Amino acid sequence: SCAQPILTHCVVISLIRPVSVRYLAKLSSVGSISDEETCERLRGLIQRQVQICKRSVEVMDAVRRGAQLAIDECQFQFRNRRWNCSTLETMPVFGKVVTQGTREAAFVYAISAASVAFAVTRACSSGELEKCGCDRNVHGVSPEGFQWSGCSDNIAYGVAFSQSFVDVRERSKGQSSSRALMNLHNNEAGRKAILSHMRVECKCHGVSGSCEVKTCWKAMPPFRKVGNVIKEKFDGATEVEQRKAGTTKVLVPRNSQFKPHTDQDLVYLDPSPDFCDHDPRTPGMLGTAGRQCNRTSKAIDGCELMCCGRGFQTEEVEVVDRCSCKFHWCCYVKCKQCRKMVEVHTCR
Amino acid sequence: MAGAIIENMSTKKLVIVGVILLLFQAFSFMVGGLIAPSPTTAVHYLATKCVDSVRHHQSNKWFMPWGPNQCDKIRDLEEAMSRKIEANNIVFAVHIPLPNKEMSPWFQFMLVILQFDIAFKMYNQIEDGAMATIDVGLAYRDDTLSEWTEMAHSIEQRKLSCNFTTSKTYENEGRYYECDLLPFMELGSVAHKYYLLNIRLPVSERKKVNVGIGEVKDIRLVGIHQNGGFTKVWFAMKTFLTPSILIIMVWYWRRITLMTRPPVLLEKVIFALGMCMTFINIPVEWFSVGFNWTWMLLFGDIRQGIFYAMLLSFWIIFCGEHLMDEMKRNHFSVYWKQVGPIVFGSFCLFIFDMCERCGLNTHRHTHTHTAVHGLFLTCCFSTRGVQLKNPFYSIWASDVGTELAMAFIIVAGICACLYFLFLCFMVFQVFRNISGKRSCLPAMTKARRLIYEGLIFRFKFLMLVTLTCAAMTVIFFIISQVNEGHWHWGDYTVQVNSAFFTGIYGMWNLYVFAIMFLYAPSHKRYGEQQSSGDAGASGEDVQLTTTITHVDGPTELYKMTGKEAQE
Repeated sequence: SCAQPILTHCVVISLIRPVSVRYLAKLSSVGSISDEETCERLRGLIQRQVQICKRSVEVMDAVRRGAQLAIDECQFQFRNRRWNCSTLETMPVFGKVVTQGTREAAFVYAISAASVAFAVTRACSSGELEKCGCDRNVHGVSPEGFQWSGCSDNIAYGVAFSQSFVDVRERSKGQSSSRALMNLHNNEAGRKAILSHMRVECKCHGVSGSCEVKTCWKAMPPFRKVGNVIKEKFDGATEVEQRKAGTTKVLVPRNSQFKPHTDQDLVYLDPSPDFCDHDPRTPGMLGTAGRQCNRTSKAIDGCELMCCGRGFQTEEVEVVDRCSCKFHWCCYVKCKQCRKMVEVHTCR
Repeated sequence: MAGAIIENMSTKKLVIVGVILLLFQAFSFMVGGLIAPSPTTAVHYLATKCVDSVRHHQSNKWFMPWGPNQCDKIRDLEEAMSRKIEANNIVFAVHIPLPNKEMSPWFQFMLVILQFDIAFKMYNQIEDGAMATIDVGLAYRDDTLSEWTEMAHSIEQRKLSCNFTTSKTYENEGRYYECDLLPFMELGSVAHKYYLLNIRLPVSERKKVNVGIGEVKDIRLVGIHQNGGFTKVWFAMKTFLTPSILIIMVWYWRRITLMTRPPVLLEKVIFALGMCMTFINIPVEWFSVGFNWTWMLLFGDIRQGIFYAMLLSFWIIFCGEHLMDEMKRNHFSVYWKQVGPIVFGSFCLFIFDMCERCGLNTHRHTHTHTAVHGLFLTCCFSTRGVQLKNPFYSIWASDVGTELAMAFIIVAGICACLYFLFLCFMVFQVFRNISGKRSCLPAMTKARRLIYEGLIFRFKFLMLVTLTCAAMTVIFFIISQVNEGHWHWGDYTVQVNSAFFTGIYGMWNLYVFAIMFLYAPSHKRYGEQQSSGDAGASGEDVQLTTTITHVDGPTELYKMTGKEAQE
């Protein structure tokens, strides 16, 4: 069973693994979570989540896509770092790195909460879900309501679903533990990364197209943008500790001279390991041996830092590259193959 | 004393009238702010990618994105790649509205805006001036079980104006371009419950169609329609306002016909203003709920345009008739210089509007002459009565269209500037004359002084009211533009935009109402006039007659000169 206190681990492993293993199966049966029984079989969901799953089975497919989106984005954002968000075929999916209260865990929580909200909102807009927008807000509970005043934005539903489904893991444990507080905060920060970067777009349609009548709406940012925002928050994350404020417990910066974090910032409790060496006792701690690095860079992707001073080896490899290609907007690429020799540096 | 009601009214009565009008004004704001929902709603749609395995281009195959009989869907283009599906076999399907909802005639109109999500790829970038060629079909049905009926089918071109804000490096592959919103479709009436859009992006390298448009990841649409609740409140308001203005019009005209002299120009213009207001007010939109009248949008624009033109003409003529110089006007032809730009500007906007709203069917790669030709020939009223020809037409989509549209707008703008120069100049002249006359007021005879004081008061009153109304319009316009659209006020949500529409609409109605009421010939002196009508004019007042006959009416003059003679 899934003992990890993290949504992503469990949902990802439950929802994605059968798919990634049997890739062809995914293609033939897209709606893979279609009946309530599947909810029971999903490993890693806590009881409350199974209830939500049963209640809104149609949303779970979007959640699964959201989880995949989170992993892809995490791996993209961390492609040049020592910890590159690599996933495991076993439990937990991100390894043990995110079971501690590290910065990386903060990122993973934030990006998963955001990705669930994002994917559910998208599913709403494509008409896959039947009860978006119109049933959350006071306006427009019924078709009559839709005809009277329209529905609220789908993002409201996406965020609300993310809150109920993702946060329920932490809430069920009570607000007492500092990890729960940290996770809840980072979940919310992830969703805020979407909400605070909504693009406002307007269209004028008054007399002769004048702006006498103007309709504005909020459009969701592309997920890459959300990933970038959360990555920036990761770089500036605040180390916190738990304190008592009256009857409730709150997280405050460990260093009292730092200004307090906002609800959009990421927070973490424990410092991260250096991720240099492979540790067989810690799943997911793969180390940087064998990773490619950039010889000219002085940053974290440079060979100096990436290889933790162990040095690197250089090979000359023949790479078959595509060149002088012809593209269509979809599905068609006609290229010549160009071979060239490239120096590849890998950490020892 | 001069003849308009406003001059004969006691201050107390004037205040009472003012307060009543203000109450109605507040009421019209509240109707919009508290009862009506926001005027329009924007609904997001994400197109579902369907697979057209055997290209059913000719047959009436429609692809449903969800529900029973939904199409063979693909998640993303990687899946299409692995299943070896070609671009020509992908159909983007959008069902309007979203599940479990129905469209309604109360929505009045529907605009659809198109947005491409195009990912940046180093080797597959958007070329400069790339055009997207969109093969689009629109179908409707009125219950969920029946077949789809085609409504329109067209091949449209839209210019992609996208820019990539970050540097074009391998690092940034997969980020999206920021593309401008593309006008896509416009329906003048929403007569059906369900609509289905099937969009294809056909590729042909030989014809250079859809080549160099980048990697299209998704198609997003935004559907904008008027809220049913707003429509209902709006109709109710119009239905209430029509008889009010109609009654005051009848009353006003009766007063004028009761007089022995023929009506002067200003009186006629005020009456015409009332007629235009009634023309706007008449709630013919009620029919749009029952009938599928696609020209309602255009008709609404025309009515609004006529009213604006009339209002602007009214201001010019009102100023002109209060100039108090020695020139005799009282004839419409005197004002051609000032009214000309209004008429011409309105005409330009009318042509532009015809072309924008009607969906005139120009061919791709049109030359200017065919566009102009098509403009007059294939506008709205050509085939099939007054049916929208092509809901996907947008004047902004082609270069020629854009230039033409811009030309019309610029000409209209120049006309507007000319008009305001004329108006400001006239207002300036009036004020100059007022200050000139004021210095010699004490030296005048009582009758003459009263006439001039009446003129000045009437002018200043209208000036004040007009400026207040214009300022209110501008202020509320700015508020509604800047604001988010609604204010939360305790438990209440105030819809600022709706309040703006109903409030301003109510305000101009009250403005016309007030002018017709206050500037109608006074009833009080009416009886006296006839008794003293035969008195001769003294030499001093003859000149005066020419100046103010048109505003006061000759009977007034006779009366006053008669009084003079008695003294």
